[in-house]
Amino acid sequence: MHLTDHVTDEQLNEYLDHESAEREQIETHISSCADCAARLTALQALFAEIESLPELPLTHDLTARFTPTPSLPVPQLPRWLTLTATLQVALALLTVIITAPFITELLPAVQTPSFADVLIQIQSQWLTWLDLLSTFQLPTLPQLPVIEISNLMITFTLAGISMLWLIGNGLLLRNQR
Amino acid sequence: MTAPTDRDLILRARRGASDAFGELVSRYQTSVFNVCYRMLHERNEAEDLAQETFMRAYDRLHTFDLEREFGPWIRRVAANLCLNHLESWRATTELDDERDADESQRPEAVTEVRERSGQIRSALLSLPPQYRVVVELRHYQEMSYDEIAAELNIPLSDVKSHLFRARKILAEKLHASD
Repeated sequence: MHLTDHVTDEQLNEYLDHESAEREQIETHISSCADCAARLTALQALFAEIESLPELPLTHDLTARFTPTPSLPVPQLPRWLTLTATLQVALALLTVIITAPFITELLPAVQTPSFADVLIQIQSQWLTWLDLLSTFQLPTLPQLPVIEISNLMITFTLAGISMLWLIGNGLLLRNQR
Repeated sequence: MTAPTDRDLILRARRGASDAFGELVSRYQTSVFNVCYRMLHERNEAEDLAQETFMRAYDRLHTFDLEREFGPWIRRVAANLCLNHLESWRATTELDDERDADESQRPEAVTEVRERSGQIRSALLSLPPQYRVVVELRHYQEMSYDEIAAELNIPLSDVKSHLFRARKILAEKLHASD
C-alpha cells in the first residue's frame, strides 16, 4: 500500500486481528492520518465492547452424568420374613427345652450299641440297599423292604436336623444386621 | 498433592474412569456453557448443548490428540455444535433476562453493566449463525483466521468476510442503541 492511501476497513480488521502482513505501513499511515486513526480507535472500542461480556454462572452442575453412582444399598428382607425367622428360632429353642427331660429319660432305656456295631449295621444296610438296587427290575415293582430304624438313629437324626435348622436360621438372622 | 493435569484425566477417562472425565467437565463446564450461551442466548438450551458437548467429547475421547489442549478443543466442539443446532433450528428465541453484572457493585453500575451486556447479546443474536460462530471463535476463543477456516471447513476468504460483516452489523446495532 502507498503511504498516502487511506487504510481500508478490511486492512484495519486484519491489523487488529494480528493477521496483516502490512503492519508497518499501516502504522506509519495511521500516525499521520487523523481519519484512519479515528476509525482504528472506533474499531478497537468495538472489539473491547464485544469482549467485555461477562461469563455467566451455570445454574446446575453438569458433572453429575459423569460421576459414578454410589453402590446400591443391600436390599433388606421384608419385616414379616425376619419376624417369621425369629419365631422359628424361638419355637425351636422351646421344643428343645420341653423335650430335653423326656429325651434324657428315654436315653438310658435305649440300648446304646457300640460304634463298631453301628458301623456294621450301616454297612449291612448299605449292602442290602445295593443288593436291592442290583436286583431292581423295571417291569415289576419290587416289594419295598421294611427298614428297621433304631430309636438311637431317630434321635440322632432329629438332633442333627434341629441343629442344622438352628444354625441356618442363625446365619440368616446374622446377615440381616 | 498437585492436581492432575488435563492429560492425566483424559488418559484415565480413556481407561474407563468416568470420574476423571467428571473432573474435566467440572473444570470447563462454565466456559463451555458460556460459548453456548453466547451462541444461543437461551439458558436452558445453552445448558443442554453444553451437556451434549461433553457427551460427544466423551464418546470421541479416544480420537483426541493429547498434544493439543483440552480447553480450546472442547470450546470449539461446543461452538460447532451450536452452529449446527442454529442452522437446523431457526426459531426466534426470546433473549434471556440474565444478570450480567457483579451484584457487589453500586446499583447504578450494576444496572449500567447489565444494560450494556444485554445490548451486546441482542446485537450478537441479530447475526446470522455463520457470522455469530466466527465472532465467537475469533473474539472469545482467540483463534486465527486459518484455524477458524479449518475448524468450520470454509475458505479463508469466507472467514474474513463473515467477520468483517459481522463487526459492521454489531457496530451499527451498538451505536444505534447509544
